[in-house]
Amino acid sequence: MITDITVIDFHGHVGRWDSFGMDDTPAAMLQAMDAVGIDQSCVFNIFHSDGTTGNDSTAQFVGQHPDRFIGFAYVSPLMPKRMMPELERAIDQLGLKAIKLYPPYTLFPLDNPVWDPIYDFAHQRGLVIIIHTGTEPTAQPRFLSKIAPRFPGASFVAGHAGNVEPYRSQAIQAAQECPNVYLETCSSFRSPGVIEELVQNAGPDRVLFGSDTPLMDPRSQIGKIITATISDEAKRLILGENARRLLSL
Amino acid sequence: MTTLSFQAKVPVFDANVGVGHRHDRISPFENATELLAEMERHGVGRALIYHVQGERLSTLDGNNWLEPWIKGNPELYPQWVVGATADGLDQLRQLHTEGKVTNVRLHNTIECRVPFVDWIYGELLEWLSVQRIPLWVSLADTPPVEIMETLRRYPDLVTVLIGAHYTHSLMVRPLLRYLPNAHLELSRYENLRNLLKLKEEFGPERFVYGSFYPRYAMGPMLFSIHHLGLNQSELMAFCSGNLERILGDQKK
Repeated sequence: MITDITVIDFHGHVGRWDSFGMDDTPAAMLQAMDAVGIDQSCVFNIFHSDGTTGNDSTAQFVGQHPDRFIGFAYVSPLMPKRMMPELERAIDQLGLKAIKLYPPYTLFPLDNPVWDPIYDFAHQRGLVIIIHTGTEPTAQPRFLSKIAPRFPGASFVAGHAGNVEPYRSQAIQAAQECPNVYLETCSSFRSPGVIEELVQNAGPDRVLFGSDTPLMDPRSQIGKIITATISDEAKRLILGENARRLLSL
Repeated sequence: MTTLSFQAKVPVFDANVGVGHRHDRISPFENATELLAEMERHGVGRALIYHVQGERLSTLDGNNWLEPWIKGNPELYPQWVVGATADGLDQLRQLHTEGKVTNVRLHNTIECRVPFVDWIYGELLEWLSVQRIPLWVSLADTPPVEIMETLRRYPDLVTVLIGAHYTHSLMVRPLLRYLPNAHLELSRYENLRNLLKLKEEFGPERFVYGSFYPRYAMGPMLFSIHHLGLNQSELMAFCSGNLERILGDQKK
């Protein structure tokens, strides 16, 4: 642990991706978390369009270490009839705490109306939605500037904070325009100065540490925050305080 | 246990730092003084530096422009970049005659559109093998198939494979297995379990810390290596000892 804060990793996966060496063995994930003082990791399974298969596996995974992992629900508009019943089940019955969306696995840009029922569900219940954002046409963070004002009760987290330019600037702009947009930090593009840029332009209370574990090692991803030239107070917010507030922990 | 700040706990020799502005990418530092300040911030004592002009446009210009960065800065060691031109190899031979060559870096073959194949680079690779000069090759900038097929023809050539990414996950192990003189530089290699598995299989002497700064931030991977659970001697090998051995501990 890091003294005086609970460190929360806001971006992690359940499931396997063999060609990239991604293996969700809890022991390995916990070992890496313990090595750098990560207290809890948020995890979700995005590998099943039905939602149900992945959400069940997430709940089972979290159930093995409920003090260390926080489960998020995943649903997809590829199966529109199952989408909302499954989301309701995942939140109400499985106890998953927030929602993950992955638009690159669909043909629908984030401002397509097919996503609206999910946004409205989060708006009505005050839930967080973390969305993969980046270069993909369906996932560009500029869409958040259109969506977030329509659903002020929901909090939108731009996963990867757009990843690279010009998408990172779109994500920052969305956070500047919309008080319910946040920026999450994981990326294999570890350009120098990115964390500083997010903090300076969006504010330290709007940035969340994430790692993409176990696809990527949380040790290098938290290293981005620890070695950034930002204040200790900003680091505390990014590493855990903001996530704790968003998830009402 | 960790804290909100970090500095390296062992001597660090960064195996992968680019200097200068590219035509399409501006560096965050203007000169050696600013680079040294960034190194000091993370506890990096020495760095192997190449000029980024050599990545794509001109190895000749890049190597010529490297000299001012090195002069008067004993912490910075030159890495000469080479491509496929005869002039480039002539320049390298001249530098070698002057006793200035301890290592060489291959240019970006993808951007330069010159595939890394024996019938183009054979003379260079033969010369490096004979002279026992190690070669840095970027997995980010050269197709892995070409790296494997070409380097297998030069079994004595010592190499450092830089910039491996998680998408290279299934390629790294065969590369280390079939290229016994290859080493893995760790700037982008952040698979959760693979690195420790590779260390167990191939031994700690096959890995070197490099930041790929300024394409990537200098501190995160160094922080990560410090938290892998390596023992002190392994940590020192990763952070500086292996690179010193590869370079033959030669002075510039």
